[in-house]
Amino acid sequence: MPHRLGPMQVLPGPMRRFADGDTVDYCIVGVGSAGGVLVQRLARAGFRVVALEAGPFWDTEKDWVSDEKGSHELYWNDLRITGGTHPLALGANNSGKGVGGGSVHWAAFTPRFHPSDFRVYTEDGVGADWPLSYWDLKPWYELLERELPVAGPAWFPWGDPHGHPYGPHPLGGVGDVLVRGCTKLGIRSVAGGPVAILSASHGDRPHCIYRGFCLQGCKVGAKASTLITHVPDGIAHGAEIRAHSMVSRISLRDDGRVDGVMYFDRDGKEHFQKCRAVVVSGYAIETPRLLLNSACPGHWQGLANSSGTLGKYLMAQAGNVIAGRFDELIRLYKAPPAHALSEEFYETDPRRGFARGFAVQTVGPLPVAFAKQMIAAMSAWGWGLRRVMMDYNHWATLGVLGEILPWEDNRVELAAEKDQYNLPVAKVTFNLHDNDKKLIEFGKHKVMEIMQAAGAKQIVQESRFAHLVGAARMGNDPSSSVVDKFGRTHDIPNLFVCDGSVMPTQGSANPGLTIQALAARTADYLITHGDAIFFSSRRDPDEPKIRYDLSPPFTKFKGNPRIA
Amino acid sequence: MSRKSFPSSATGGLLRDLEQPGYYTGYSTMAQKKKWDEATRNVVRERMERTPPLRFFSEQEAKLLSAVIDRLIPQDDRAEARTIPILPAIDDRLFGNSLNGFRYEDMPPDREAYKLAIQAIDEMAKSRFSQAFAELSVHRQELILKSLHDGKPDPDHPIWHRMPVHRAWALLMEDCVTAYYAHPWAWDEIGYGGPAYPRGYMRLEGGLPEPWEKPEQLYEWKAPVDSLSDVDEEGAPPEHSSLHGHGGSH
Repeated sequence: MPHRLGPMQVLPGPMRRFADGDTVDYCIVGVGSAGGVLVQRLARAGFRVVALEAGPFWDTEKDWVSDEKGSHELYWNDLRITGGTHPLALGANNSGKGVGGGSVHWAAFTPRFHPSDFRVYTEDGVGADWPLSYWDLKPWYELLERELPVAGPAWFPWGDPHGHPYGPHPLGGVGDVLVRGCTKLGIRSVAGGPVAILSASHGDRPHCIYRGFCLQGCKVGAKASTLITHVPDGIAHGAEIRAHSMVSRISLRDDGRVDGVMYFDRDGKEHFQKCRAVVVSGYAIETPRLLLNSACPGHWQGLANSSGTLGKYLMAQAGNVIAGRFDELIRLYKAPPAHALSEEFYETDPRRGFARGFAVQTVGPLPVAFAKQMIAAMSAWGWGLRRVMMDYNHWATLGVLGEILPWEDNRVELAAEKDQYNLPVAKVTFNLHDNDKKLIEFGKHKVMEIMQAAGAKQIVQESRFAHLVGAARMGNDPSSSVVDKFGRTHDIPNLFVCDGSVMPTQGSANPGLTIQALAARTADYLITHGDAIFFSSRRDPDEPKIRYDLSPPFTKFKGNPRIA
Repeated sequence: MSRKSFPSSATGGLLRDLEQPGYYTGYSTMAQKKKWDEATRNVVRERMERTPPLRFFSEQEAKLLSAVIDRLIPQDDRAEARTIPILPAIDDRLFGNSLNGFRYEDMPPDREAYKLAIQAIDEMAKSRFSQAFAELSVHRQELILKSLHDGKPDPDHPIWHRMPVHRAWALLMEDCVTAYYAHPWAWDEIGYGGPAYPRGYMRLEGGLPEPWEKPEQLYEWKAPVDSLSDVDEEGAPPEHSSLHGHGGSH
């Protein structure tokens, strides 16, 4: 039976298999949003690449279901400890496991960050500046928008205004509420995207069928995940994806360079993969956990942690959900959860009394998720819960996506508890600070106003958090950051971090597109420098040449519209 | 599994033994199963046809927790043969030690949390009403549970000083709704379209039904007169500052 990725696409085979004793060029730890892009680029450029993924290699026809409860295995369900004044929910909320990682269950909103996001400290005196500008990253944003590709309006008015390669999606009931409420209040909104969901077929991927199961893995193959967008091309170009491989530590040689990784296979047997460079793409919790668990003589605080900032400045976005009950039917389960938004409140407005801002976005919880929201938002239980749920089709849900600033005390550390491999699990601590609390209060009330303007008869809200970034942040100063602007660790020249954990701030845009654009840029940096990465410690601060010739198939002849 | 606990007069008669509560009379998600992909059909069929055996809780614990669940998600309006199994799903999760990816630093592991919670509930019942929880009248059961819901255990119990009551409450409630609203009969009850691959949905506009969905037929119904768990339209929900959503929505 062929390994299927959606109803049309078949995984190319046979996949190259390196022998146990082989030394490869790159070992990539984690095949998610970033790792998937990286493995594809490096393989196309001719490097010998092994990517180790802790979870399974999904066959979407066999393994995925149109069912909330049945999709439990898509998430990182292993134990982590969560605490602080505002502990983060993990697992299904923000953590993927398996090839494709979080891109398998993201809602696939793909707004770019704004130019101001890269200069938060300079402009607002809070947070941090990025060691690169929006304009440095822009070519990779445009490239990834064509590779995924992104569907959305012809004119996206916020940040650096731009259009999208594929046309916008039709509006579902929740998008209709967002657009109606915003329009009533004179707030600009966009509809039908930007989302990495196909509004027309693309190569061997069909367009969206509006069934609303984005967060359960898109069996249709319309929603982009690196499992279907980049990994197959990587395999076709000689990369090996080794699933069910949990990396336990990175090995450091006496000369201060890494030479491989230890990992457990699915039977719990330990292996050593030799390589000339390591890229950690485990996302904002597993990346710092692995580096901390790799502590060794001379690096007792963990690898790449001479600054002491590894694990710190972890961020999640405020993700309050505002639910409104309407007299008319909405049927919020139809259409992709992500399909309309406003970034009218994204930038700092001094009149509001806090720095930075938030976005307003559609969300589309299926029955189990909606019932959980009603437990929190209405304290519903018993007959009351049954009654509220009988009105499921009358509710619409809008999300705040608010920027929470990077704080040193929001962090990932090692807990005393061990996992099934006897490795210390991550302990995540999260506290809201004054600016964050003010921003959340303002944001949730603004979204309640929108909901009211749309005609909701009853409005409730649930506090929650979305996404995870930071904890191995990039910067120019090795004493206050973990990696440089290309993801190269300051301490170890052939050890890289490439995932959301490198972000110094997070804006109020969903991080997926930026993570992938950064990954393609890091890949181009590695490719530009060739073998020098493996033996030289010289750091070249110039932006790498963007390699338009390394895109996956079907990218050619797609364009980013420019409408002045 | 479910205990029919209210005198039928208290339900207004309407809610008794319905094949299908809710406002979508005659709607059946399972009637569409031939339109679903095979993997989805197998998972849903397994859920409907095979109720896992109790392996984690003892018989006595199961009896007690079952009485608790009957109040958290009452099913008195459902016909016995149309009762959705909740306890077996929770028992199955705990037996397999299937986690949701995190544990609060102030909470014990899920297995222990359950054992502690039901111990506390039973001892609260005995101390307040001199009876085991499962033997109490429904109203008295609700009095105990409402105090946990409100975050003010009455009577207080030492376990709630070791384990935050609002987290234990959320753990219980979330596991209950995960079982109940994952069941096709619950999908029928709330008019949810259910699995939709490969066919998809076509009617996105104006809350319109698909050709195989049913229009809503609203009717008034009353919870049992002395029940404490119905929606309180007047009262604001208690604000638990640290009670946060756990589902992924964006």
